[in-house]
Amino acid sequence: MKSVSISGSPRENVGKRDAKQQRYNGLVPCVLYGGENQYQFVVEKGQLKDLIYTPEVKYAIVNIDGKEIPATLQATQYHAITDELLHVDFLEIIEGKPITIGIPIRITGTSPGVLRGGKLVKKVRKLKIKGELQNIPEFISVDISGLDIDNTIKVNELHIDNITFVENPNAVVAAVLSTRNVENTAEEKA
Amino acid sequence: MLQPKKTKYRRPQKGRMKSITKRGSEISFGSFGIKTLEEHWITGRQIEAARQAITRYMKREGQLWIRIFPDKPVTKKPAEVRMGKGKGAPEYFVARVSPGRILFEADGVPFEVAKEALRLGAQKLPVATRFIVRRDYSEEI
Repeated sequence: MKSVSISGSPRENVGKRDAKQQRYNGLVPCVLYGGENQYQFVVEKGQLKDLIYTPEVKYAIVNIDGKEIPATLQATQYHAITDELLHVDFLEIIEGKPITIGIPIRITGTSPGVLRGGKLVKKVRKLKIKGELQNIPEFISVDISGLDIDNTIKVNELHIDNITFVENPNAVVAAVLSTRNVENTAEEKA
Repeated sequence: MLQPKKTKYRRPQKGRMKSITKRGSEISFGSFGIKTLEEHWITGRQIEAARQAITRYMKREGQLWIRIFPDKPVTKKPAEVRMGKGKGAPEYFVARVSPGRILFEADGVPFEVAKEALRLGAQKLPVATRFIVRRDYSEEI
């Protein structure tokens, strides 16, 4: 899993008046929790771009007062109209303790069902998994080479070493659905 | 046309809207969407007109989600009727939208197609809108 370095400066004052002022200065108020201490700090907006506005899932190495803390993105808040980033929550990664994170899926292989005219449907974009940081992959590879028409791949059919899936085991990840073309060809053959 | 199966009160009061939306401001289903920048009542007819415009441009490909529902009845008195004698009959239904509310979401079509389709749909609506894209969007499969 890739990481992004973020350097933050601790907030001297907290509260919404201060947060508003910080945002006015181009900074984003953040909080980091989950470890021994809780840190309230501000980060420049541009630093968070690589972490939030990307299809990849990364973890952050937050530098506060020279102290480097690995953390995952826990929550983000945006302005309802302007979509401006208002606040970010980070969850500290503690060594030896598993983390839960949503990882994007990537479809690999060619499905015979698709070649016959079926439609590939990706039911989910990300799957929540639990495991230690060093075992978390960048993406979950879903092989559809054995997927015929009206077949599905479920969560319980996926396997990654040292990782457990937090999702419902019977949840469908990808499916090949029948289309009108397929039905027409089947009728013609009959 | 969208409308409720049944309503609790047939003739509700007008009410007032005076804040930005409290929910429904994030893309939840698709990759693209339009967001209202104004507060307004959007009628079931307008929603249907927008839906038709969008699906026609998308040529029935991809998927479309309507994120608003017209649940508020609006009454109207018949033409040339004197004032008084009670409130008029329910005429149509509206969805109350506040600034920031996502109106439509689309997915399964390329970026350019979605943008144009939603622009055409937005023209059928009485509000100013903005085209938005999912934050982690990339031109994938």
